[in-house]
Amino acid sequence: MFKAKRRTVVAVAAVAVVLLAGALAVTLTTGSGAQAGVSYLNGNPAERVYTAGDRPLAPDFTGTSLTGAPIKLASYRGKIVVLNFWGSWCPPCRDEGPTLAVLAEQYAPKGVAFLGDDVADTPANALDFTRSVGITYPSLSDPGYLIVQDFSQVVPVNDTPTTVVIDRTGHIAGMVLGKVSYATMVTLLSDAAVTR
Amino acid sequence: MTDVRTPQSKPAQSPAEGTGEVTGPFGPNGTDATESGGGGTSVPLDASAGWLRWGWRQLTSMRTALILLFLLALGAIPGSILPQQGTDPASVQQYYASHPALAPWLNRLGLFNVFATPWFAAIYLLLFASLIGCVVPRTFKLVGAARTPPPRAPRNLKRLPHSTTYDSALPPDAAASAAAGILGAHRFRLRRPAAGDSGQWVSAEKGYLREVGNLLFHLSLVGILVSIALGGLFGYKADKLLVQGTSFADTVSALDETHFGRFATGSDLAPFRMTLDNFSASYITSGQNEGQPSSFKASVTYSATPGGPSRQGVIEVNHPLSVDSVKVYLIGHGYAPVFKVTGPGGTLAYEQATPFIPANTATMLSDGVVKAPNANLGFMGVFVPTAISDNGTLESVFPAANFPVVSLIGYSGNLGMNSGLSQSVYQLDTTGMTKVNGSPHVMLPGQTWTLPDGKGSITFVGVQQWVSLAITYDPGQVPALVFGILALAGLLLSFFIRRRRVFVRAVPAASGAGSIVTIGGLTRTDASGGFEEEFAELAFEIASTGTAPPGAAAPVAPAAVTAGDDNPEPDNQSETGA
Repeated sequence: MFKAKRRTVVAVAAVAVVLLAGALAVTLTTGSGAQAGVSYLNGNPAERVYTAGDRPLAPDFTGTSLTGAPIKLASYRGKIVVLNFWGSWCPPCRDEGPTLAVLAEQYAPKGVAFLGDDVADTPANALDFTRSVGITYPSLSDPGYLIVQDFSQVVPVNDTPTTVVIDRTGHIAGMVLGKVSYATMVTLLSDAAVTR
Repeated sequence: MTDVRTPQSKPAQSPAEGTGEVTGPFGPNGTDATESGGGGTSVPLDASAGWLRWGWRQLTSMRTALILLFLLALGAIPGSILPQQGTDPASVQQYYASHPALAPWLNRLGLFNVFATPWFAAIYLLLFASLIGCVVPRTFKLVGAARTPPPRAPRNLKRLPHSTTYDSALPPDAAASAAAGILGAHRFRLRRPAAGDSGQWVSAEKGYLREVGNLLFHLSLVGILVSIALGGLFGYKADKLLVQGTSFADTVSALDETHFGRFATGSDLAPFRMTLDNFSASYITSGQNEGQPSSFKASVTYSATPGGPSRQGVIEVNHPLSVDSVKVYLIGHGYAPVFKVTGPGGTLAYEQATPFIPANTATMLSDGVVKAPNANLGFMGVFVPTAISDNGTLESVFPAANFPVVSLIGYSGNLGMNSGLSQSVYQLDTTGMTKVNGSPHVMLPGQTWTLPDGKGSITFVGVQQWVSLAITYDPGQVPALVFGILALAGLLLSFFIRRRRVFVRAVPAASGAGSIVTIGGLTRTDASGGFEEEFAELAFEIASTGTAPPGAAAPVAPAAVTAGDDNPEPDNQSETGA
C-alpha cells in the first residue's frame, strides 16, 4: 500500500515537472514581444520606431565607397543619416532603389544624408545599378557584411535590404526590415528629427 | 525503461521489508521487483485514477520503452530515405516533380520533414517520459535498498542454490563472528541478529554497484536525450559559400542558409570574421583512383570578434576550425569563373567571380549563371575544369582546373530582377528574354565574346575557387559524449557485477563442543558466471577459521571448495535448487 502510494506521488511529480517544463517553454517562445522603446508603424513589426531617449547608439564605422573614397559615420554627426543595406543582385533592393534616389534628392536640403552599404557585391555591378536608377549618394563597399555585423549587434539587420535611420546624435531612430516605401520613410524621417 | 532482467513474480502480501525471511531469491527486499510490473494491490478509489496509474505503469515499462525506441528508429527511416525539406529542399522539389501523385500524400504525413513532425516528437517525448518515469522511482528504490540491511538468514540454508556445511571447533557465536569478519573483509554488507533474536547467524550482501551501474545507464540515457535537446534548442547550423580572396562576417544576412534551434536567434551567432586566403585541392593523377581527391585545404585568416586579433587557421575535411565555441567545417568546394560583362554602350555592367555549382562531383563539371540586369544580358554557363571535346560535346576528364573552358548560352532582355520578387542567384529567369546564340559559345580564359547587334560583350577573365563552410554550434555535443561514456560504463557495471548474498548459521554441535556451521549463497543473475567459485573460496576461508585454530592440525577443506580447486574429491558437492 505504502509503495503504491509513493509511486503515485512520484508519477504525479513527474507529470508536474513535464507540465512545468512545457509551460516554461511556451513562455520562453512567446515572450519575445516588442522591447521597451520600440513601436511598430501601423502594427507592422518590419517598420520600427525607436522612441527618443531609448534609441540604441549606431555603431561607428569607417569604410571605403564603391569609388574608393573613405566614409566615416562620425563625420555625419549633426545630420540625419539613412543607411541602406543593399546589393545589386537583390531584386527587392533594385526595386526600392528609385524610391531611395528620389528621397535622397528631396531630403538633401533638410540635412538628411543617404548612404548605402553594398553587400556581397562588386563595385562594377553596384555602380552600374546606381547609375541606372539615378542614385548619387555614396555606398560603402562591404562585400563581407562587416558593417552589417556591427549593426546586427544592436538592431535586427537580418536580411537584405534593410534600412536604418540614424538621428543627428548618432542614435538609431527607426528602421525598415525589407523594402521601403516612400510614405514609411517620410514618417521615419520626421520622427528622427525629434531628439531629446 | 526498467531493469534489463526478467521480472520476478512477487507475492502480493510480502512481509514487512527487511525483516522477513527469504521466501525466494531476493524476495522481500525492495530492489528486485520491477517498478512497473510489481505493485500495490490497492483498489483504486475511482476508475479514472486507476486507469491513469495503469497508463503510467504501461508507459514506464521496459516493453513500452523498447517499442518506443523501435518506433523512433522506424520513424527515422523515411528521414534518411526521402529527401528532407530542412536539409535538401531542391531534392524535395525534384521528388514532387517525379512522383506527382505520391508526393502530396507523403507530405501530408510529414515525411519530407520527419524530424519536425508532431508524430516524431510524440515518440521521443513519450520515450523521454518513459525513461524518466522509470529512472526517478528507481533512484528512490536504490537509495532505499542501500539503507535497508540484508534480510535475515533463512532457516534452512541448504535449500539455497549454493550451500555447504562444516564442523567448527568454535562455539556458535564465535564461529558466526569469525564468518562475519571474513565477509566484512570481503566488503560484504553485514547483518547480525539483533539483541533478543535467537540463533547465531550472519547475512551478507554485496554487488550494489550493479544497481548503481544500472541507474547510471538509465540516467545517462536521459542525459544524452537532454544533451541532444539542448543542442536542438540552443544550437544552430549555418552554411556559407566563400570565394577565394573574399571575407565574410558571421551575421544572419551574410549566411546562405541558417537553421536556428528553438531558442537560438541571429544575435546568438559568434561575431567572428573570416577571409579565405587560399584553397587547394589535390587529386590523384594516375592509377586506378585517378581523379579522386587526395586532400582539400582551406587557409583562412580570422578574428573571433570584430577588431579582435587576427589569426591564421587551416580547415580540412573532418578537421574543423574552432572559433570560440563554434566549429567551422569544410563541406564543399567548387569553381568561380570570373566574368566581365559590358552593356550595349560599352559600359561595364558586371565584373565578379561567379560561383558555379558542381553538377558532377567526380569531374567538377559545373553549372552557373551570369546576370547583368542593367545591360539586359544573362548567361547560362557550364564550367569545364579539364576539357576535352568528344565529338563536339565538351567533357571534363579531370576535376582540377588544368584546361578550364566555359561554354555559354547568352540571353538578352529583361531579367525580371527589378520586380521586387526574390530570385536565386544560381538561376536565370528567361521568360522575358531571348536567346542570343543557337549553340553554346565556348571560351578559354582571357577570351572575349562580342555579342551580335551591339548588345555587348562578355570576357572570361579567369578562375577562382570557392569553399562551402558549415558553421555549427551544438552546446549538447560535449555533454552527449560524456553521458555516452557514462552510459557505457553503467552498462558494463550492470553486466559484470552481480548482486549476491551469503548467509551463515551456526548451531551448537551435538557433541556439545564446537558448532555446526552452514553457509548458503545465492545470486539472482549470474550472467558473467563465477559466483560458484567465489562462494567456494569464501566458504573455504570461513571454514578455515573454525577448523584451523593456531597450532592445530591442517584444515579439512570443506567439500564445496573443490570447485575450481585441484582437490580431487568432488563428493558432498553443494546441492543446488530450492
